[in-house]
Amino acid sequence: MISPEDDGLEAELRALGLSLDVPTPPPADVAASVRARLEGSLPHDAPAPVRRARRRVRRWVATGVAVLVAVLLGVTPQGQAAVQRVLRFAGVELRIGDPAPVPSGVPSPLPGERRVSLREAREAVAFPVLVPAELGEPRDVRVSDGGRVVSLYWPGARLDAYDGTLSVVWRKELGPPWPDDVTVSGEPGTWIPGRHSLTYIPRQGSGTRTYDRLAAPTLIWQVDAIGYRLEGPKTFEQARRIAASLR
Amino acid sequence: MLVTRYSAVAHRTAALLGAGDEAEDVVQEAFVKAFRHLKGFRREAAFRPWLLRIVANETHTLTRARGRRADLVTKAGAQPETRVPDDPEGVAITTDRRTRLLQAVQGLPEREREAVVCRYFLQLSEAETAEVLGWPLGTVKSRTFRGLARLREEVDRDLA
Repeated sequence: MISPEDDGLEAELRALGLSLDVPTPPPADVAASVRARLEGSLPHDAPAPVRRARRRVRRWVATGVAVLVAVLLGVTPQGQAAVQRVLRFAGVELRIGDPAPVPSGVPSPLPGERRVSLREAREAVAFPVLVPAELGEPRDVRVSDGGRVVSLYWPGARLDAYDGTLSVVWRKELGPPWPDDVTVSGEPGTWIPGRHSLTYIPRQGSGTRTYDRLAAPTLIWQVDAIGYRLEGPKTFEQARRIAASLR
Repeated sequence: MLVTRYSAVAHRTAALLGAGDEAEDVVQEAFVKAFRHLKGFRREAAFRPWLLRIVANETHTLTRARGRRADLVTKAGAQPETRVPDDPEGVAITTDRRTRLLQAVQGLPEREREAVVCRYFLQLSEAETAEVLGWPLGTVKSRTFRGLARLREEVDRDLA
């Protein structure tokens, strides 16, 4: 991006651009105006196919508005997503934009990953290790990064519980379909319906190995200071049911 | 959802490309068109440049139809002097230089101005700029380059 003869002019232009304050009405108002236009004034002599299209649009808009409300409530406070495309929630940094390059190759294990029994896991970590009753006993249990992460495995599903939701534990890069704001057992959560790239951010000093792979649809939520990411269920309903059964 | 996510960037694009006071109108019309043509949008493509292209086209149509592009741009550009955020280190100098630079950008030929606005004010990539303005990538590069060269000349002469 920086050309050889860059004398600071490009940086200056960018700074100038940032200082230009363009008044923007509240997104909700814009959405309402757009909806009014869509539902409102098509010319009366519009041919039939156009009117059918308009009905389709109206249905589409109704769905869109429901999603809009969800998004307004959580994922994009003040509707700033267009500018601020990095969202942090429950120890997960979501980078939303164009689809990220898909990680290739065999993913390395998490730092310090070791296979343990459920009982050993409960002794090894500082937070309560809960199991979703909906899935039953996990087939495999791993503890990683000095007890920061506990991973429970079942066929087709994986639940990571991790300590410390204030620091960034995972980074996810994704494009469309966009994440949805959801409620899991009364707690706020985020449902990522599409495949996306997943990176583990090690605790400082615990090495520089990167864990980078393509992740399936994932539900993220937090209970107290414990973050959870449930990966594998294909629909939010399934994921929500599993999440709600944590005991 | 789409409106929420893209409202701010759409308004910026419309205003900085010269829609001035009518940016809101342009943006609403662009969203309406986007919804109507959503079926024509390929899911795997990036939505933002696609939408911004509609915004850019709408802005173009508006400024062409009214034939008062220069006027609108000046109006949009007349605001920053009071809007530059407080900057403890030499507000006056920075503001003065920014004002000159902004005037120089406004004085660019239309195509070069559009390229500079997209690349630097909106911070779009070259590929996104190409899509938004509907130009080939090479054209984006050359017009940006020419625009920058002209700006350098202008600013240097001003400050000499």
